Amino acid sequence: MHNVDLNQLASLINKNIPGANAVVNVAPDAKLDSSINIEASHITKTAQWLRSNTELPFNALQAITGIDWMESMEVCYIFANFDVNASRELILKVRLTDRVDPKVDSIMKVYPAADWQEREVYDMFGIKFNNHKDLRRILCPDDWQGWPLRKDYVAAKYYNGIEIYPEAKMNFEDRDFIVRQAMIKKAQETKAQ
Amino acid sequence: MQSRWDIGEPIKPTINEDTEQLKSELLTLNMGPQHPATHGVLRIEIWTDSEVVAHVIPHLGYLHRCMEKHSEQMDFRGVIPYVDRLDYLASMNMEWGYAITVEKMLGTEVPRRAELLRIMTGELQRIASHLMAFGTYALDLGAFTPFLYAFDYREKILRFFEEVSGARLLYNYMWIGGLWNDWTDDQLDRVKVFCDEMELEAKKYHQLVSMNKIFVQRTANVGIMSLQDCFDFGATGPILRGAGYKWDLRKNKPYSLYNEFDFDVPVGTGEQGVVGDCWNRYIVRMKEVTESIKIIRQVFDKLEPGPVMGKVSKVIKLPKGEVYVRTEAPRGEIGFHLFSEQDGKTPYRMKVKSPCFTHVSMLPRVAPGQMIADFVATIGSIDIVLGEVDR
Repeated sequence: MHNVDLNQLASLINKNIPGANAVVNVAPDAKLDSSINIEASHITKTAQWLRSNTELPFNALQAITGIDWMESMEVCYIFANFDVNASRELILKVRLTDRVDPKVDSIMKVYPAADWQEREVYDMFGIKFNNHKDLRRILCPDDWQGWPLRKDYVAAKYYNGIEIYPEAKMNFEDRDFIVRQAMIKKAQETKAQ
Repeated sequence: MQSRWDIGEPIKPTINEDTEQLKSELLTLNMGPQHPATHGVLRIEIWTDSEVVAHVIPHLGYLHRCMEKHSEQMDFRGVIPYVDRLDYLASMNMEWGYAITVEKMLGTEVPRRAELLRIMTGELQRIASHLMAFGTYALDLGAFTPFLYAFDYREKILRFFEEVSGARLLYNYMWIGGLWNDWTDDQLDRVKVFCDEMELEAKKYHQLVSMNKIFVQRTANVGIMSLQDCFDFGATGPILRGAGYKWDLRKNKPYSLYNEFDFDVPVGTGEQGVVGDCWNRYIVRMKEVTESIKIIRQVFDKLEPGPVMGKVSKVIKLPKGEVYVRTEAPRGEIGFHLFSEQDGKTPYRMKVKSPCFTHVSMLPRVAPGQMIADFVATIGSIDIVLGEVDR
């Protein structure tokens, strides 16, 4: 996937941005993708360097993702270079240990594409981006409670006083069928004993 | 901002300081969520200064179905119907991208016949999608007839898909490891005939609309997205190519068997207007239809009998790790970022990088300074599908 030597790139990042502490995550299998981990506090400087350097430039930001690993959060940036002769991609990761109130610097001044991508990560994971000029929910309604894509998210029962999935409107036939099958099975087992 | 009226600064009404009533202020106008020009449920808050757009704020989420959350509870085969509903005008290409992602992680070999048929269905779907874009774009600009022509021929493609997959829009046809069903020789012969018809038809559309004086006046020099804007926002597909940049994943980073095929990548040349405007984006799509026909014809030369389904175990278990795969859909690059745990039966996390999401985020950059009617033309030219934006 990458078309880029990650070890070389990591050492370049370490050389140009002191303290970034870039480490290559080598995938255990060749068919999987490797990535680079850096310190969360250096993300803006790294993004700036990635876009403006002449050795291995990345001219576009493809996506920003959050991942909830239960004990910590991770923000995952995908950069790409749209160049016929030097097409390359990079997965850059930042680990946030504070799961209650995770924060990371915004890179929307470097890549304007990050504006909406960061809003989506905030909407889904509650990760706050410092210096983002317009950080509000983008896909969920503004008054939505909770962070839907976190692993410990419990689906809401009410929204603005409206019941979600009211029992009167639910189709219980499928569920009853499974329950009935289980009861029949149990009865047969007791009979056999 | 550049507009075809070339008015430079927006014209301000003369303000009489003494009279309260004559004070000029911005008017907020809501376009959507049910406006026909937004191609779905998108609400755009427009701040207008008389007839000129001063600022726009897109509001998304009217079609948000928590697709990424749902997929965390589905097994890998069960995600495919959800993926269908992303870009419901090009479902085949969505399924294809997802199938490649899982196959890459699984290390499955797809039979050659299946790969070739995937290319054929993918390109047929691209034609259908571009026909839809062409028809509705003309409709946005006030021409009704092209819409009927385009839907006539789109219908023929949907009939093929209905025969082979059983559904007209949401197919669940490209499975992990291959295809659900094979095409019969009779069906393939009819696709051949369709290609010949479609080539003539594309020429007809070109004569009918492309150089039409009114159409050119409505689209040329309107909604200019420069190359710098495209890189800033990560735009792909016809937007990037319309800005004159020759970038197509099928050519530059070939997946499937595209490296065996001979085709051109059309780019906007500024024949009318300037590079990066609505007209150039439109013409890229129209030229891509012809290129797709070229690819489909080459598929017939290579096609040989064989299986269409590879060997995949009944329960798919993926290794721990991640994969990011991007493929070229009709609207731009669709990317799937898939995370799995050790022996994972469901995705741990799946992020969909959707092209239209990035393109809609460019609207606040291009809209200010346009007339409202030109703004409608700009929205139409980026060919939004909200299923993919809101996911």
